Amino acid sequence: MSTAGLNGGLIQTLSMVVVITSVVAVEVRRLRFAAMAYSAQALLIVGLLASFAAVNPSLYWWAAVALITKAVLTPWFLFRFIGHGEDREIKPLIGFGPSVVVAALLMTGFYRFTHGHVALFAPTTLAQEGVFRTNLAVASTVFVLGLYCVLTRRDATKTVIGLCLLENGVHLSLVSLAPELPETTLFGVATEVVVTVFLLLYVIAGVRKEFGTTDTFALRELQR
Amino acid sequence: MSEQVATMASSMPAWAFLVPFAAGVLAFFGRWLGARLTQFLAVAAPLIVTLLGLEMARRVVDGAVLTGWGNELRVDGLSVLLVLTIGIVGTLTALYSVRYVKQPGLLTRVGAAAAQRLPTFYGLFLWFIATMVWGCVTNNIVMLYVAVEATTLTSGLLVAFHWDKRALEAGYKYLMILTIGITFALFGCVLTYAAAAATNRLTGGQALLISEVRGVAHLIPPATALIAVAFLVVGFGTKAGIAPFHPWLPDAHAEAPTPISVLLSAVMIKMAVYALARTVSIFYPRWPTLAVFVVALGVFTMVLGIVMALAQDDLKRLLAYSSVSQIGYVVVGIGLGTYLGCYGGLFHLLNHALIKALLFMCVGALTYATGTRRISELSGMRDRMPITSACFVIGTLAIAGLPPFNGFLSKLTIYLALAQAGMWWALAIAIAAGLLTMVVLLRVARTVFWGHAPATAVAAREVPATMWGPMVVLAVACVVLGVFPRLTFPLLDRAANVLATLGR
Repeated sequence: MSTAGLNGGLIQTLSMVVVITSVVAVEVRRLRFAAMAYSAQALLIVGLLASFAAVNPSLYWWAAVALITKAVLTPWFLFRFIGHGEDREIKPLIGFGPSVVVAALLMTGFYRFTHGHVALFAPTTLAQEGVFRTNLAVASTVFVLGLYCVLTRRDATKTVIGLCLLENGVHLSLVSLAPELPETTLFGVATEVVVTVFLLLYVIAGVRKEFGTTDTFALRELQR
Repeated sequence: MSEQVATMASSMPAWAFLVPFAAGVLAFFGRWLGARLTQFLAVAAPLIVTLLGLEMARRVVDGAVLTGWGNELRVDGLSVLLVLTIGIVGTLTALYSVRYVKQPGLLTRVGAAAAQRLPTFYGLFLWFIATMVWGCVTNNIVMLYVAVEATTLTSGLLVAFHWDKRALEAGYKYLMILTIGITFALFGCVLTYAAAAATNRLTGGQALLISEVRGVAHLIPPATALIAVAFLVVGFGTKAGIAPFHPWLPDAHAEAPTPISVLLSAVMIKMAVYALARTVSIFYPRWPTLAVFVVALGVFTMVLGIVMALAQDDLKRLLAYSSVSQIGYVVVGIGLGTYLGCYGGLFHLLNHALIKALLFMCVGALTYATGTRRISELSGMRDRMPITSACFVIGTLAIAGLPPFNGFLSKLTIYLALAQAGMWWALAIAIAAGLLTMVVLLRVARTVFWGHAPATAVAAREVPATMWGPMVVLAVACVVLGVFPRLTFPLLDRAANVLATLGR
């Protein structure tokens, strides 16, 4: 596999928009819009996988699985869940203004760092070249933004979206790190994420019913 | 030390997890099968796992390594030790659960239709066992992640099974924290695979096979190896309950129905330690200084766990924190990387599985008989529940590390291994944590079983035979393994040889 035959411009553009959708999904306060941003990101990831598949046809399979699991099933679960409750996110630990600044700093800082020191994460020379280098930098940036989301958001629904970003970050890195992963293994990894989201939302629905809120700060029963 | 091993193709590794998985599918149709048949399946499937484990152990001790589905499944001494532990504890727990789940309020909220939820309970119970066994027999590093995450998914709803505020809070934290943690492990696994593939020494999918990656680990760049180890430790360490990634553990172990608490504490966290040891040990021969880091993490875990246990009034939470502490001993032993350390760590892994299963079952028995698990509400139970009392005291003495019980020998082996490695600071802390464990648990045993019985406990009676039977078996095992430790030597020797890569 090589970088020849890849549409570098398209991949760079899609990659940058993936990062921006992560920031939107984390920062927007309306849960429905956050889920939309996540869904857009999922579609962009499918597009990225299909673009990389030009030099590695096995990625078409991965793109198809991602389309079903990330772009169809996960958003469906999210929209169904959000539709039954409050659309506005519980106020997070960090206010909107400072949070946007932190997210922007994380985005630019981490992207620059990983792009500059990609050898730390990329054991192959191919993964250190051109679009693969960009892919790894984007993957790790999405991962960090997801982690930022789950650590600072009080709303359980938003933490699920953060978890999805976290997973997307790792899955994106597979393009550069493990392009020849067998289909069965990819299927296992992809299925796991959908089931996780489903189960988490199922339990959070129970939390919403019993506690009357999805505020994780209200979960204090076990401290009594 | 053991002689060379021979690889042998076998279908047993696959059957070991396919049987409980298929039984789980059937159990979900329990409304048509009936409660008795569903419960029969729940006991029979792990029993078959145990029998398969015994046969695999016999072959492994004879010098074989069993492989299946090409080399995707691989059973050596380490794997079979875990499979056997899961099978034995699973069988006894299933038997214990037969009467336990029928007591109103113990499986579901009082007034809820518990009988209708039995099929779901046993279906998930069996899938939980199946996924744990799968994780222990897979040789594929990414599928190891998939299996470990699958254990979280199958047990997540079991933790929240009561579906009240406390259970839902525990279930949410359990699913969320473990999934975040395991995502780190996925990156660690993928990075290890990518680095192994980049060495150009392995062809096709060989770089996914843990047994093959070990052979090329010395060619992996140090910075990549360091990052992979860090992600694996955070990922699998969270699942194993290693401090500071442990906050999910006391909540989940305490709020889950007791049979699930038994599985979580006795085997699931051990399976996560297995995943950690299996992956991180790949890097040990080239970077022996990793041992100091892992031992330090283990020592921190054992101290934090037992200090937190001191303040607990809820018996299950106390035992859960004690599990955190004891997993620290296992990590210290295995983390040393020497033969003696690995032997001690794995011996303690087995012993702690038996002891903690016993202690959780005893607490379940107390809850069954009195309706409470609060230490402050229990006293003088010795006369009313003599079998449970005797079993709890045996478990307490064993976990405190007193002779002639099994916990004494495994802890002593770990102490000797620390002394052999010259880690005197860790040895001193480990002994101190052991003494603290003794104080904490003996104090609990004295409070709960001696003294004057409160009015609420006057009507309490000993639990049914299907509940105390498994407890007695475990208590006897604690004594037998303490008096005749050579019984497990052949298997533990094989298992320790798989992990021991330093100081040989």
